[in-house]
Amino acid sequence: MNQPELIEQLQQGDESAFKALVEEWQGLVYNTAIVIVQNEEDADDITQETFIQVYQSFGSFKGDAKISTWLYRIAINKALDHEKKKKRKRGFAFVQNIFGKATDDYLHPVDFNHPGVQLENKERAVELFAAIRQLPEKQRVAYSLNKLEGQSYQEIAEIMNTSLYAVESLLGRAKANLKATLKKYYENNISEQ
Amino acid sequence: MNKIKNINELIEEALNSLDDVQRAEPRPFLLTRINARMYRKPESVWEKAGWFISRPAIAFTGLCMIILINVAVLMYNNPSNGLNSTAQSVQITADEFSYSVATIYDIENVQP
Repeated sequence: MNQPELIEQLQQGDESAFKALVEEWQGLVYNTAIVIVQNEEDADDITQETFIQVYQSFGSFKGDAKISTWLYRIAINKALDHEKKKKRKRGFAFVQNIFGKATDDYLHPVDFNHPGVQLENKERAVELFAAIRQLPEKQRVAYSLNKLEGQSYQEIAEIMNTSLYAVESLLGRAKANLKATLKKYYENNISEQ
Repeated sequence: MNKIKNINELIEEALNSLDDVQRAEPRPFLLTRINARMYRKPESVWEKAGWFISRPAIAFTGLCMIILINVAVLMYNNPSNGLNSTAQSVQITADEFSYSVATIYDIENVQP
């Protein structure tokens, strides 16, 4: 099914078209979310929420962007919102802790093991994901889209609704920040390596 | 020198660790879970209110406000202070006007 045909059927509320959309793009949405939230269950929730929003708001989709670009935008916004909520919960975790309700994840985020990383790279990837978690929002999104989704600078600019120059700058700063964070980490832990 | 070289190597290794990463797969039956979530019965107003009130932030703030209001009420309406001043003013008024209760018994039994 080509894109204009799919869009037309989705706008008519066709269930089989929605099924085709989920099957085709679930990997894209899930992989975008998992890198930002760094948790498999949360990424699964965000994937569901993204498709529900798509189903409910497909009438307003004008077709001026590609479906994938639209899906990326929704998934990224949902994932970033989720991260903000999590940060707020983490801020309030000490109060929950008084009442014995705080889960340890909020107070001390666990290391993230991406399921697609090769076994020999697992240890370094955990350290890299911890460094990615410390990047500012936009740098994290740009770096994830480029490194894990393999998107070109032009595609990232379209998804993030920004200029090509801004994407280049974001990626440059992201790499510099990652190097600095990793350097600091290894300097403190080199004796243990 | 070796330490610096080692650190730089580790940084490069970390940055390259995602080069041949495979795509992660969502759990099976995603569409079923999406459908279940979409057609879930909407919560009633009371359920929503209960959920809102039971949130730790709201519950804690509410508890603090109740305690603060109680403390404020106790501080500004101290009942012992209020009674003392009322009793004092009644006494002063009674003294000034030499007010005493006269009954029919007092009038009829005047002492010689």
